[in-house]
Amino acid sequence: MELCLFLGCNTPAIRPDVERAIRATMPELGVDLADAEGYVCCPAFGSFPSTDDDSYLASSGWNLSIAEAKGLDIMVQCGSCYSSLRMGRDHLAHDEEKLARVNELIELTGRKLECKTKVRHVSEILYNEVGAEKISKTIKKNLNGLHGIVQYPCHTLFPSEIVGFEESPREPKALRILTEAMGATVDHYSRELQCCGGAGGFSKSSPAEATEFTKTKLDAIIDETKADFIVVSCITCLMYLDNIQKKLNDAQGTDKYHIPVFDYNQLLALCMGFDPKQVASICTVPRNKVIDRITAG
Amino acid sequence: MDFSQSDKDLWKQIYNTKDLLHCFNCSTCLSGCPASHGDPPLLVRNLARMVVYGLEEDLLNDDTPWACVSCSRCEEMCPMDVKPFEMILAIRRWQTLNDETRVPTAIVEIYKRGYTQSVGTNTELRASLGLPELQTITKMPEMLKLYQEMLMKTPVVSENDYMFNEE
Repeated sequence: MELCLFLGCNTPAIRPDVERAIRATMPELGVDLADAEGYVCCPAFGSFPSTDDDSYLASSGWNLSIAEAKGLDIMVQCGSCYSSLRMGRDHLAHDEEKLARVNELIELTGRKLECKTKVRHVSEILYNEVGAEKISKTIKKNLNGLHGIVQYPCHTLFPSEIVGFEESPREPKALRILTEAMGATVDHYSRELQCCGGAGGFSKSSPAEATEFTKTKLDAIIDETKADFIVVSCITCLMYLDNIQKKLNDAQGTDKYHIPVFDYNQLLALCMGFDPKQVASICTVPRNKVIDRITAG
Repeated sequence: MDFSQSDKDLWKQIYNTKDLLHCFNCSTCLSGCPASHGDPPLLVRNLARMVVYGLEEDLLNDDTPWACVSCSRCEEMCPMDVKPFEMILAIRRWQTLNDETRVPTAIVEIYKRGYTQSVGTNTELRASLGLPELQTITKMPEMLKLYQEMLMKTPVVSENDYMFNEE
């Protein structure tokens, strides 16, 4: 199958090794990726969705129509981009007036939007289209003997009737099953479904409280699991859970927090034998221990 | 609480859905809400009350809707289908419409280069990772001009156009 890759802002700008991992792994699993030339901000919830419908939905329509012109569905990794595009599409698909207005606004591009293009998350593609079995068969190395915990991206769970793909948004399993498919043991813990806390204004307007909020999650991981790594499938979860550990260590003068954080496709790329320098090199918490185990195995 | 200045029809301006009136302040929207731990806390149920009571001035000055992380747990869990996340966005929109200092600076960045981040300028790093050059809108000046032309027809940009003019 072929999908239109929507990269968003943070992945290509700050963590392009994740982009490399996605571009390397998906075609190996039969998912070819086409670029969305001339795409714009999804738009982020703190931008146009917080100002008015026209600017919000016109930006959604701008992006959706790029993929629609190619006759392709969109694939997204970033949780916020996924949710914003999918909610935008939902508004347009169920409101003829809004769709007509957006078509008026994007007319200057020569494109027309019919809302045929669907917006899909990379973890959903991996789970539903590729499947755990194919992943197990394709990888050359594995995570046998390693323990991990998974961070489900909130934006792929809630509101489930618009963005969801899990059988139960309160008991998600896709990312766990995908991680187990590479041989890892996934541990459960009490704060598994707690948000990473990294998106939106919270971490900027209440930095001390936001850090404390995420600390409770990390403490639960340390106290209740044998996690060698955290696996995410959202660029915000990745950057936030990675960077905050150094912040906590610096503030406390300890080295208590040092659980490496990986995007799912990064672990997949490592297990497929891709060069760690290309697919998993940008991080705050060192990843050597896990990477060495995979490459040696 | 002083209700003498309250505008009982304010909710129609801010979030015109009867669903809002079904809110009975059960506080389900607070459980699991990261920003409810903030200082000041984001208390979604209180905002719903303020909208229904029409406390215009208090609402205009309230920064907490902007602390929302957009995780949409409240949207999922609300037993009365108030759609609290949609309400948060609606309050932000109403605040922005009535107070230009609320216009998010991010939209000026997006207008100028298409993105909140400087996407596609890290060419050396990208090349070292074996990545292709990205066809960003910033590298397609004709396309960027069309995007700006489009945004200029939308309320937030046309009404605050001085923010978007190139120096």
